[in-house]
Amino acid sequence: MHTELEQGERLAALLRSLPEQTLGPYDWSEFRRRAHERAALGQRIGEGRRVAAVVVIAVAVCAGAIRWVESGPRPAAPPAAAPRVDEASAERYLASLPHEPAVVRVGTRAAVATLEDHIALVDDLLSAERVERAPPARLLALQHERSELISSLVQVRYAEALADESR
Amino acid sequence: MNRHSLLCAWIVALVACGAAASCRPSIALGDPLPAASPGDTHTASEADLEAQLEAARKQLEAAAHQVAELTAQLSRPVIEKFMALGDDPDRAIIGVQLDPAGDPQGARVREVSPGGPAAEAGIRAGDVIVAVNDTAVKGDDAARQVVDLMRNVKPDSKVRVRVLRDGKPRDFTVVARAGLGYLLADGPITMPGPELLPHVRAPLMLRGPLTDLELVTLSPQLGRYFGSDSGVLVVHAPGDGALKLEDGDVILAIDGRRPTSGSHATRILASYQPGEKLTLHIVRLHKTLDVEATVPERPHHRGVMLRGHRAASV
Repeated sequence: MHTELEQGERLAALLRSLPEQTLGPYDWSEFRRRAHERAALGQRIGEGRRVAAVVVIAVAVCAGAIRWVESGPRPAAPPAAAPRVDEASAERYLASLPHEPAVVRVGTRAAVATLEDHIALVDDLLSAERVERAPPARLLALQHERSELISSLVQVRYAEALADESR
Repeated sequence: MNRHSLLCAWIVALVACGAAASCRPSIALGDPLPAASPGDTHTASEADLEAQLEAARKQLEAAAHQVAELTAQLSRPVIEKFMALGDDPDRAIIGVQLDPAGDPQGARVREVSPGGPAAEAGIRAGDVIVAVNDTAVKGDDAARQVVDLMRNVKPDSKVRVRVLRDGKPRDFTVVARAGLGYLLADGPITMPGPELLPHVRAPLMLRGPLTDLELVTLSPQLGRYFGSDSGVLVVHAPGDGALKLEDGDVILAIDGRRPTSGSHATRILASYQPGEKLTLHIVRLHKTLDVEATVPERPHHRGVMLRGHRAASV
């Protein structure tokens, strides 16, 4: 026991006498500082990656929609029912959005305005056609057009909201 | 190396490996201390991410633009069919679908166009229109009466609409927008890319440096700070010095038209053709001044001719 104690003290003395260069690259406080820094960087990068991923997914969805619009054969006579999107939920989604984003980016807003004006025009035409008791096929054609416009408006407003949130 | 140093080094190495495994540049053992080169690693990775994010935003905006433009193009033939059957191309629109079934009290609103003039004014589906511009509408053909009254409304004019909501009267002012003549304006424009889609009409579409312009509707607090109680704040001026705007300017009027929101300013700006001159009445550094500017050209596009009046919806 006594010998072990002496050996321990000798070893401690030897360690204390080691030159400064053999100490660790930095002390505990420096280690903690670096660890905090890494954690903060990781968090920022993680957030950035998530936002970038969401934006890329949204671009892919929009690109898919464009391809569909460009390549898909449009029916000569639109279907009587079941528009491509659930129009009621699409309109609920649109109603849930603020009138405009906090920061209006003019390019995207102009796209939104184009669609909104087309929808307003179709709605007024529908009113006029209904009071004139237009044939159902004409009303259906307009209704179908409205569904398409609403569907596109949802996509464009979604893109706008996403871009606004990522700022 | 003593045990304490060894343990520290080992832990630091583990942390560094963990960070490296997440495919991100990190501060590893043996890196120079931040004090020696402060924030270099941060700046590099964040700048790279910001560049990627900005590129993704641009793609997103371009995709949104194309969706809107192609949809508008595809809806054109259908709308034109209705034009051909005698609809006045210069009629104004308010964006409501009326229920043709008679209501003893007035014309029931079946749908309100999202983002349309009626929606902006506050009219909702289910409201019953009882008067338009002080002319009462009621009875079995109330919807027809509203449609007929709207035929006399000119774009940009204010329409007083009285409705019954839950049995109580409410008054709204709807600013009518230009309809067919504007949206189906003559003049082909070309789409970006190799294809040339003929006869695309999208008069509200903006291109070029103006698309980068960012605006904020002025709140009273912001207004006090920037020295104006109305207008829209330019938070990001368009590139290339377009419109001679600067960050921090407040747009009070565009050729006399006073924008009430960022959307409104967008509609006003989009009603100009490339090359047209306009006067911006602005506040810059608490001083009011007029700026003469020219609407920049749209890359890859020729101008869209508007029929009749400058449209719209402004």
